[in-house]
Order: sequence, then C-alpha cells, then structure tokens
Amino acid sequence: MLSLAWRNVVRNARRSLITVSAVALGLASLIFLWGFNDGVHNTMMRNLQQVIVGSIQVHANGFFHHPQLVKTVPDSGLVIRLLKANGIKNFSYRLRTFALAAGEDSSEGLVLLGMNPDMEKKATRIAAKVDHGRFIHDNDEAACVLGKTTARNLGVSIGDDVVFLTEDRYGALAAEKLTLVGIISSGEMGIDRGLAIIPLGFLQQMTAMGGRHSEIVVQLPPERLEPVTAVLRAKLGKSYEVLRWYDMYPMMKQWVELENAFYYIFLSIVLVIVAAGIMNTALMSMLERMHEFGVMMALGCGRLRLAAMVVTESLLLGLAGIMAGTVAGLALVYYFHGAGIDLSSQMDSVARFYLNPVIHTEIDNTHLLDTVMAVLAASVAASIWPAIRAARLEPVEAIHHA
Amino acid sequence: MSDVLISASGLTRYYESGELKVAALDGVDLLIERGAYVVLAGRSGSGKTTLLNMLGGLDRPDSGSLVIAGQNLLTMSSAGRARFRLCHLGFVFQAYNLIRVLSARENVAYVLQLQGVKKKQRFQLADQWLARVGLQGFENRRPDQMSGGQQQRVAVARALATEPDLVLADEPTANLDSHTGESLMDLMRKLNEERCTTFVIASHDPAVIASARTLITMQDGKIAPVETL
Ligand SMILES: Nc1ncnc2c1ncn2[C@@H]1O[C@H](COP(=O)(O)OP(=O)(O)OP(=O)(O)O)[C@@H](O)[C@H]1O
Ligand SMILES: [Mg+2]
Repeated sequence: MLSLAWRNVVRNARRSLITVSAVALGLASLIFLWGFNDGVHNTMMRNLQQVIVGSIQVHANGFFHHPQLVKTVPDSGLVIRLLKANGIKNFSYRLRTFALAAGEDSSEGLVLLGMNPDMEKKATRIAAKVDHGRFIHDNDEAACVLGKTTARNLGVSIGDDVVFLTEDRYGALAAEKLTLVGIISSGEMGIDRGLAIIPLGFLQQMTAMGGRHSEIVVQLPPERLEPVTAVLRAKLGKSYEVLRWYDMYPMMKQWVELENAFYYIFLSIVLVIVAAGIMNTALMSMLERMHEFGVMMALGCGRLRLAAMVVTESLLLGLAGIMAGTVAGLALVYYFHGAGIDLSSQMDSVARFYLNPVIHTEIDNTHLLDTVMAVLAASVAASIWPAIRAARLEPVEAIHHA
Repeated sequence: MSDVLISASGLTRYYESGELKVAALDGVDLLIERGAYVVLAGRSGSGKTTLLNMLGGLDRPDSGSLVIAGQNLLTMSSAGRARFRLCHLGFVFQAYNLIRVLSARENVAYVLQLQGVKKKQRFQLADQWLARVGLQGFENRRPDQMSGGQQQRVAVARALATEPDLVLADEPTANLDSHTGESLMDLMRKLNEERCTTFVIASHDPAVIASARTLITMQDGKIAPVETL
C-alpha cells in the first residue's frame, strides 16, 4: 500500500515535484523567518540579562519593589555557597541605594550601584558597554561611571569630579567626591539616565554597610534558568526573593510572546496556502484515476482502503516537502547564524541597546517542531476531501470514466 | 447433478434520463450453473453491461433477487459486496484493467495482497498465473510496456489468481485485433475447462459468441430463450 501510494506520487513526477517544492519553499521560508525572529528575540533577551540585569537576582524579600539600603540579603554567604554547590560560577553581588549627584551645573537624583569590578565581569558585560573612558577597575577607588544623559545634565565629562550625597545605614548624611572615569551611552532610558556605578567597596564604606549586599546577580544559560530558580527558591525560604529577569522586567518577554503569536498567525496563513496546493494535486490525481479507482473497487478494494491510499499519497508529498524544506530552512538558519544579517544601515542612529546591528539567526526547537508538525497536519487535512470523494465513488460510474 | 452458482429473478434496473425512464434490465431471470461458460450477446444498449454489473455487485437492481454462491447480494452492505467481490469474483473489463504504476506481477499480486496473502507467496502465485496465460518473462513489465492483448492476459491472470467462483468479462476483446481476441478466448475457454471456473462474458464479437458453451442473447433488457450449444 505504501509502495503503491509512493509509485502513484512518482508517476506524475513533474506535478509532484512542483507540489513538493511549494511545500518545501513555504516551510523553508517559515523556518528562516523563525530563525530571524528567534535570533532577534533571543539576542534581546540575552542582552538584557547579560548587560546588567542578570538571569536571576536574589534579594531580601520585598527589596525589588521597595528598595532600601538596609534591606540587604540576609546571608549572602549562604546564597553564594548554594550557587557554587550547583556549579554556578557567573555571579556577583552589588549594593544599591539612592543618591543625589552634583556636578558643575546641577544636581540629579539617581540610583547608586556599587559593583565589584572583578566579580562583575563574571556576571555581566556592563564593563564592555562603556563608550567613553573606562569602567571602574578597583573595588575601592573613588571613581564613577555615569549614563550619557546624566553626565550631560550634570555638565560633567571624563576626569571631572562628581559629588554624591546619600544616607548611611544610620540615616546620617554621607557625601563623597568621585572622579568620572567612564560614560555609557546605551539608548536605554534606565541606564543612560539616573544611574551611577561606583566601586562596591567604596559604597559599602561610604554607607557603613561593610560586607552587606542588596542584590546577588546570577548569569545562566536559558535552559538552567527555571531549575536554578526552583532550587534557590526552595532552599532560601521566605526571607529572600529569587527573581528571574522577566519577573523584574516583564515587558520584553511579553513583547516577544506577542510577536511570536503574530508569527503563529502568519504560519497558519502559509499553511492554508500549502494545504490548498496539496489538495489541488490530490484532487487532480484522484480525478484522472477515476477509472483505475473503479477497477480497484471492482477487484474488492474497500472504500476505506482507497481513501487511505489517497491520504497516504498526500502525506508522502507533505513528508517529502517537509524534508526538503527543513533541510533548506535549517541550512539558511545555520548559514546566517554564522554570517549574520547586517541591519546596521536599517537601524537608526540610536541603535537599540539590546539589539545587535548584525542579526545572527537561530531557531527555538519548539518553533521548529510546531511548524513542521503543522505542515504535516496540513498535508493530511488537505487530502481529506479528495479521500472522501474517492471513497464515495460508485464503481460503475468510475469505471465508465475513460 | 446441477450445482447452481447464479440464481436471479425479476432483475430490473431503470435509468432515468430526463423525462424518459429506460429499463436497462427488464425482469431478467437467470440460472447459471457452476462451471458454465456463458456469453451474453445482444445489440448495443440491450443491457449486457448492466446485467454484468449486477452480477458483479457493482450496481443494485431496482427490484428482483440475486443469489450468487449461496449469498444474497442485495442485502449486503457496500463493504460486504467489496469483500464478496474479492473472495468470489474476478473481473476483466474492456480495457485499462491494470493499475498503471504496477508491473504485471504486481497487478496480479494486488488482489492477493488485498486477500492478505504474504508477499513471497503472492509473487510466486502471480508468476505461476502469468506463465499460465503465456506471459512468462513479462513479469516486470508495466502496462504501458505491453500490448493490449498482453494487458488483457494479465487481467485474466489477475481475475483467476484468487481462484474465484465466477469471472465476469465485459467486452474483453473489443480493443483487440481479431487474432489476438481469438487467442484470448481460447485461453479463457481452456481455463474454464481446466479449472471449472464459471465465466460470464458480455460481447458482440462473433469470435467470442462462437466460443460460447451457453449463449444468452439480450434484447431491450430482456433475455431471449437460453440455447445450449
Ligand atoms: N449511466 C446510465 N445512465 C443512463 N442510462 C444508461 C446508463 N447506463 C446504461 N444506460 C442505458 O441502459 C441501457 C443498457 O445499457 P448497457 O450499457 O447495459 O448496454 P450494453 O448491452 O452493454 O451495450 P454495449 O454493447 O454498447 O456495451 C441502454 O439503453 C443505455 O442507454
Ligand atoms: Mg456494454
């Protein structure tokens, strides 16, 4: 039966080839589009995590929504031991508070983020994002890195002094003068404006918070995100909060999901076209074999068997198209994964911070599988009507067909 | 001892074309014994094909009764009739009998496959039958690589491969030259004698009619009196 169906498909090689090519072309384009889409999305999500946010942050419970200097991680040693026990090396701890920064011309309220420069390099790539000057490189130096907008508002440039005014843990006023060593121009509001990065040791001393940390930032590959979160939540208990990047910044994930939903709509449109192509072929080959079908029925081939043969033929067309399309699509994705698609000319001058100008395609397994299965289902669905028509043939009338 | 294979009575089949109601079969009574070699003759439009289709369970009469090999064909479901055809009947049509994508061997083996015969055995049987109809060496030919007469022989081999009770042939020689037609009839006659398989052949080919052991002549959907030669 399979061999009979296969030969029927091969018999009209040209028509079958056209159908298979159409399926393959549709599928290859879908796979490539997914590759582009996933490449953009995954890059953005990776960048968000890698630049400053991290994959997971551990805080004292409630810190993220109501940050306070004194609300520090209850036992950062415990957290670090847990991370190490799970084979995680890429993490860093930070201290976070609010400050008033004063430059030449004016002052501005901002978030003061204390980072250990050596440790931070293992967790994020913020150091590499400094456009002018350098990142802080000594845990205790009196140096700071500002966002572009803040630096402009304050009227300071590299080498100038910036005075920071904040409260220490006892509520007493603390003021320090730091040298501006680097400026980040990210195009991201939250970084360009209202953020100052200074050495962790310096900030701890300034605020009398020696040895205390407000956040522990963990960098993880995507597949470890959920299991590690679960482990940390289970082990750390109620006095901590363990937040994934999208718990903290849900916008990007929602946006990605919205775009994916659009892709699924697009997918279903392509599917309808693919199905129509297969149905046309199946119907045509059924109509031109009426006499043969009639003879087969006369010989004792049941209606169900005949219908199954028609379905099998479409399935074979679909499978051939899927194989060719998957190979071609993945080849494209693979090629542009290496070569990249340069969109720098298309991106406006304020290059999106989380997006690289060169898109490297990649595809999520679920998207690939969904698409392939959908095309397979479409090729079966497309054969249902021709199969019903074949099953409904009256042998006498069918044989009468020349 | 007469062993009745086909017993039909009052078979009637109307065709409606517009206002006109044509009786393609008009009360046909028929008794055919096992092992008979019957030729249905009669003018074009006399109802030969219609009767053959009834006997083959491909069409249903508007009234009448039909029992073949002890089974009432008129109370069977469509699937039941398909199974009946598979087990009890063989068909040879006027032309294009064969499945185009299958070789001669596979065409013969196809019906055996439908019956669930194992691959090795059905190919063996197919080759035996092809040899019996004189087509040794043609096993791997596709229909379009064979002459019309050879294709008809394959159809005969296929009709007989399942060892049916009854082989129905509708104008089997109509597309063949007279010499080829005659040798096909000789073959069918020989198989009828050797295996006692019942044949009912519709034709207006004089050579076919000449080969008949029982001749039934039809006229306007009715049967003229049976004459045994
Ligand atoms: N599908 C149909 N629709 C309408 N009338 C039909 C149909 N099939 C057959 N008839 C009519 O039934 C009658 C008998 O036809 P049938 O095909 O049985 O004749 P036949 O003896 O086989 O003729 P021929 O020798 O030409 O094959 C004819 O009058 C024909 O016109
Ligand atoms: Mg006829």
